[in-house]
Amino acid sequence: MAISLTKGGNINLSKEDPNLSKVLIGLGWDARSTDGAPFDLDASLFMVKADGKVPSDAYFIFYNQMRSPEGAVEHTGDNRTGAGEGDDEQILVTLSKVPPEIQRLVIAVTIYDAEARRQNFGQVSNAFVRLVNRDTEQEIVRFDLSEDYSTETAMIFGEIYRHGGDWKFRAVGQGYAGGLRALALAHGVNVG
Amino acid sequence: MNLTRGQRIKLAGLGVSGQRLSLGISIDAPGMTIDFACFGLDAQGRLADERYMVFYNQPSSPCGGISLATPAGDQAGFALDLSRLPAMIERLTLTAAIDGVGTMSRIRQGYVRILEDHQELGRFAFSGADFAEERAMMLLELYRKEGHWRLAALGQGFNGGLAALVEHFGGTLAPESKAPPPGPPPTPVNLRKITLEKPGQSVSLQKTGAGYGEILINLRWRPVTRAKQGLFGGLLGSGRTDLDLGCLFELNNGMKSAVQALGNTFGDYFNLPYIRLDADDRTGTRAEGENLRINGQHWDQIKRVLIYAFIYEGAPNWAEADAAITLRIPEQPEIEVRLDSHRPDRPMCAIALLENDRGAIKVTKLVEYYRGHLDMDRAYSWGLQWVPGSKD
Repeated sequence: MAISLTKGGNINLSKEDPNLSKVLIGLGWDARSTDGAPFDLDASLFMVKADGKVPSDAYFIFYNQMRSPEGAVEHTGDNRTGAGEGDDEQILVTLSKVPPEIQRLVIAVTIYDAEARRQNFGQVSNAFVRLVNRDTEQEIVRFDLSEDYSTETAMIFGEIYRHGGDWKFRAVGQGYAGGLRALALAHGVNVG
Repeated sequence: MNLTRGQRIKLAGLGVSGQRLSLGISIDAPGMTIDFACFGLDAQGRLADERYMVFYNQPSSPCGGISLATPAGDQAGFALDLSRLPAMIERLTLTAAIDGVGTMSRIRQGYVRILEDHQELGRFAFSGADFAEERAMMLLELYRKEGHWRLAALGQGFNGGLAALVEHFGGTLAPESKAPPPGPPPTPVNLRKITLEKPGQSVSLQKTGAGYGEILINLRWRPVTRAKQGLFGGLLGSGRTDLDLGCLFELNNGMKSAVQALGNTFGDYFNLPYIRLDADDRTGTRAEGENLRINGQHWDQIKRVLIYAFIYEGAPNWAEADAAITLRIPEQPEIEVRLDSHRPDRPMCAIALLENDRGAIKVTKLVEYYRGHLDMDRAYSWGLQWVPGSKD
């Protein structure tokens, strides 16, 4: 059973499950049944230092760069339509492999080309993002993007961050203007 | 509150306090005719009960929870009473479909609004810039979620028009259950009937496991008896209207021609073109009318068939003839097309077009009148050579 989070609510991942070592971020939505441009949602992750910036562009994990240098974060592949059941995109995180200088993992969901296609999450059916403990297969958090973020085109799902020796998850759930480009710039990525 | 496309909100969030609401619609689309409907759907978004398609032919749902009613100042609308809806109805989807030519991109401006006690609580405005080639769209949806009614401003649609929309809901076009017409005996096997109400409406029949059986097209009409029927009327025969059923066909191998009584081209059921016209009924008095049969086993070889009726002699009194065709295929719903508009100056009526749509039989209502074979041929780009002929 997923814990329902209000904005800013915190979960201590390690305390939830002391053996927690692997988490999964799942993003799913229904393929468009009406005519028009497909709904192409993307899950991305920024591995940032204490200053909130990536050490280098290699720590921005998204559809064009699917693995961090040390392999702590892996994106399983871009889905451009939402076709298929369950998660349509996944990001796998092995927390023990995250380099010490990385303090936070910032998870974002965006709609590709939302502005030109004039799309938002509300137009997409059954769009969700969730966090799962891969060892226990337990879903820890789930956001309903279609219902609760209908007018947004990009959102920060949450952050997995170091707290003492533990990892904690902070649900952010905040819409973000400007899409993936603006998010990347804000996290210190050199966007071409 | 102004709603943007895609926006979802609890009805309570709009300030709705009760269960009785009105939806008002207005669309400025020069030269286009737009029809509105409100569908009551189940949890899967399916039209589980066809009586929950509320539109001009079915102005109210059985429960009375959805009915046609236009709020003051709007072009069209619906009155809703959410408390009356059965539990199986999980969502109400308000739709718009273009009748005739045009696409949603030609909308100058439009809105749908939600009212309670004549007070506007929410408005979703849109324009042609929000659309491309769509001919039908879902405008607004009210749905139950976690014990609350919510609203979504949809503004998404289908290039395939009303037929695609109804198919999206798992339904069939303009369904009706009604008493069987006089003439042919009732067919107890077919519980479903489809009446294509308007020119341009179509329905696709998907192949079942065994393929198609005999595709029977029956034309029947009312024998017209007039003053001329006196002493010589019967001899002259001119007091009755004689309708002839025929078709133009085109096969995938390029073969095209006509099957009709005129010129004695009755066709062949078991060999090419796999279309056969039964004996000519010159008066319409025989209960079975005129029948054209297409051998459904060979549907894959047929590209398109244009069904028409022709008044061979006398004034084309279509109104009195009150003709209709029914199309019957085993294991498929019966389809009826009525000649419900009339042109007393034209003897030829193109009634329906059957097209092979990736294996399915797509039936489109036409009911367009022409001066003759050549005229009709040109209208549908058939490309046959026509010479005068007669029946023996």
